[in-house]
Amino acid sequence: MLLLPLAQNGGFFRDRSADTCVADNGVCPKWAIDHFDRYVDPFFEHLQLVVVSVALGFVISFALAVLAHRRRWLVGPVTQITGILYTIPSLAAFFLLLPLTGRGQTTAIIALTAYTLLIFFRNIMAGLDGVPEEARDAGRGMGFTPRQLLWRVELPLALPAILAGLRIAVTTTVGLAALAFYAGAGGLGESLASQKQFKTNVLLAGGLCVVMAVMLDLLVLVAQRLLTPWSRARTV
Amino acid sequence: MNSSNTAQAEGPSAHPQAATLEFREVTKVYPGSAEPAIRGLSFLVPAGHICVLVGPSGCGKTTAMRLANRMIELTSGDILLDGRSVRERRPAELRRDIGYAIQQIGLFPHQTIGENIATVPRLKGWDRARIRRRVDELLELIGLDADMRDRYPAQLSGGQRQRVGVARALAADPPLMLMDEPFGAIDPINRDRLQNEFLRLQREIRKTVVFVTHDIDEAIKMGDRIAVLKKGGLLAQYGPPDELLLQPADAFVEDFVGADRVLKHLSLHRVADAPLDPPAADAGPDAPRVRGSDSLRDALSAILAAGGDRAVVLDDVGEPAATLTIDAIRALTRAEERALEA
Repeated sequence: MLLLPLAQNGGFFRDRSADTCVADNGVCPKWAIDHFDRYVDPFFEHLQLVVVSVALGFVISFALAVLAHRRRWLVGPVTQITGILYTIPSLAAFFLLLPLTGRGQTTAIIALTAYTLLIFFRNIMAGLDGVPEEARDAGRGMGFTPRQLLWRVELPLALPAILAGLRIAVTTTVGLAALAFYAGAGGLGESLASQKQFKTNVLLAGGLCVVMAVMLDLLVLVAQRLLTPWSRARTV
Repeated sequence: MNSSNTAQAEGPSAHPQAATLEFREVTKVYPGSAEPAIRGLSFLVPAGHICVLVGPSGCGKTTAMRLANRMIELTSGDILLDGRSVRERRPAELRRDIGYAIQQIGLFPHQTIGENIATVPRLKGWDRARIRRRVDELLELIGLDADMRDRYPAQLSGGQRQRVGVARALAADPPLMLMDEPFGAIDPINRDRLQNEFLRLQREIRKTVVFVTHDIDEAIKMGDRIAVLKKGGLLAQYGPPDELLLQPADAFVEDFVGADRVLKHLSLHRVADAPLDPPAADAGPDAPRVRGSDSLRDALSAILAAGGDRAVVLDDVGEPAATLTIDAIRALTRAEERALEA
């Protein structure tokens, strides 16, 4: 009990010394370390927005792509519709959705999910279209049913393109989610905007976004290496 | 070829079956096309025989082959596999009983060689141990080291990939094999080797094989029977290579087999097949030396090159054992022609 005021006292002195840096609006590592905890919750809010939106976007696009793979006429309409969704400015999307879904995560997730659809759909289609015709023919000729061919031959061979799409979707969504606070969904964007004149804050919140994007990107990259060992196999 | 029943049992898996394949008045008209791609095609391939479909491009030979495993659906007529119509069977199931090898091979790039070979056994639900044994057996059969099992197709040479393609087609020991220009993408030297390997293999496994090629020389080499197709999927002639070469049915076949058809026929026979004379003391030092196992075509070439009319046939230890004359070669051709007429 005796130590506590002392510690606070110490803290007070450190804050004093940092204060000049803060007052000068410099880059203050000390301040950053001391106030790091106020970024933890927004970081995970942000991460949750990204993961949920990307996962939803993937599931929807995957279903659309598998459908369009069988029924080719769907490719045009789906590309156009997801293309339109992709071009709506994210800010406008948040505001347009507000009257319908209210402020909060739901609104942000709907808008962010809509953004990933085009990226996923195009990459999954490109992956499926890139499957060598002779592998498909051999598969059919050996007695795969269309469903077996899709799951055992076509999708595994499309995996590099699909995962490339996932990397783009993840990094893009980390950036777009920084605007999600306009929809009342919090995230690192909120921290950033709350003190947007303060350099240290802007650098820290922005930097955490970059760190998150790089981490997720690396995660997918590692998954890709583990899942597609064959894509690196070349003549020795 | 009539020893096929006993030979089958000696196959690597001692699988006893090769199927009889029969085309009955098969016609295929593609939707939106006025002319049929295949017209009234009928022929019968006895079990354990290689039937080569040959003809110029656009003659429908690949279409005809793909009708057999319902990769293409026929318009009218029927195809019978051991007397049973292919139309009665579900396509995917039917295809698991028919080996399938194509020119582009179509190995799955994301699967190892072992997994590729195991494709059809897996579809058929074989247990792991049985699949493993079968893959080992097939790798040995095609002359690939066991450690190739875990490589990916991209790590193999073209010839090795082609062998794996054949092994994969053979994996579930199908009674019928369909092979569409399986050695077409290989350089001539390796193609010759793969052809010989396959013929050696076929002597062991005795499959019924439908083999598509546009190359008449390959057809003559590989086929027990050859079906020559002309444009529009019409069967111009169906018979053993001897018959095609010595008695072409019409001008089209005669032209297709080539002006050197009699020489091609000689390449099908060995020196030992000809009526040989006893060794002659006066053969002369310039007479070429040939062996009983040489082809008659090569022997004739040697005789002509030496400027004489005979060659000395050597035995296994290199001693003169007989004499081969140009007359004897002529006699063999005549005898074959007479036999075909009879």
